Amino acid sequence: MSAFDAELDATGLNCPLPILRAKKAIAGLNGGQTLKIIATDPGSVKDFEAFCKQTGNELLSSGEESGKFVFMIKKAA
Amino acid sequence: MNQRMPAIQRRDSILKVALALFAEKGYHGVSIDEIARQVDVSPAILYRHFDSKQQLYDTVLQAMSGQRESYVETVVNSSTSFEDVLIGMTQVYIKSVTDNPDMLRIELQSLLEGSAATNDFFKNRWKSFTDYIEFGLNERMSHEIPNREITIMAAGLMFQGMVREALIQKYLQPHDRLEDLSMDELSQELVALFLRAVGIHKSHLSRRGVISN
Repeated sequence: MSAFDAELDATGLNCPLPILRAKKAIAGLNGGQTLKIIATDPGSVKDFEAFCKQTGNELLSSGEESGKFVFMIKKAA
Repeated sequence: MNQRMPAIQRRDSILKVALALFAEKGYHGVSIDEIARQVDVSPAILYRHFDSKQQLYDTVLQAMSGQRESYVETVVNSSTSFEDVLIGMTQVYIKSVTDNPDMLRIELQSLLEGSAATNDFFKNRWKSFTDYIEFGLNERMSHEIPNREITIMAAGLMFQGMVREALIQKYLQPHDRLEDLSMDELSQELVALFLRAVGIHKSHLSRRGVISN
């Protein structure tokens, strides 16, 4: 459900830092594993949609939690 | 004939005219009447699409911020080296201004008009660069450098200044010296100079053969 294998705190960072750090974090995961990302940049919603589309990783969920944006990304197998 | 224009087309036409007028005269220098006149509609029709001049202006700004997707492309497609991402981002930003120099004019107009909300909008666009530079330099700069924090802040300022100045000279000043230089070449040179200034080694020679050490 909301289980994840790694978490990335990207609060306070503007594009492209959340994406850049996500790219690196995902590189360290195995296929099928999930990364949770917390961000505050409102542009990150669109950014992560584009990121997943371009990298083939799956955006499991995109939502808000206590005023921050939370994304769950599953690394492609 | 204008009455028959579909709503979407009318709205786009208003935005296009508004962008050009705000760029030329600033927010306070333009009236709804003038925009309506140029679109060839009555102000009443314009107000059907936008509640106020402020709302129209805000919509113009929002319509301009479509470049963000491309930073994602830069990060996804390039190596994750600091230099490559910085050059990529710079080229994306420069291209967006090249495609629409009125964006730069509106930014400069707003600086002088002092509207906090608008200034925040443009500051936020630059924040992508200053955050990234701060992040990159924090990782690479020796912790023994005195006034490290100020140096990093100054680096961000220097970067923004040089890019914005290059854009001003290239697109807003007639008969500029940069006429024959492509923005691509110029941006590569500027970023290379910047990297040398902050002490980051660029791993290959620049195209002009200037050796970085």
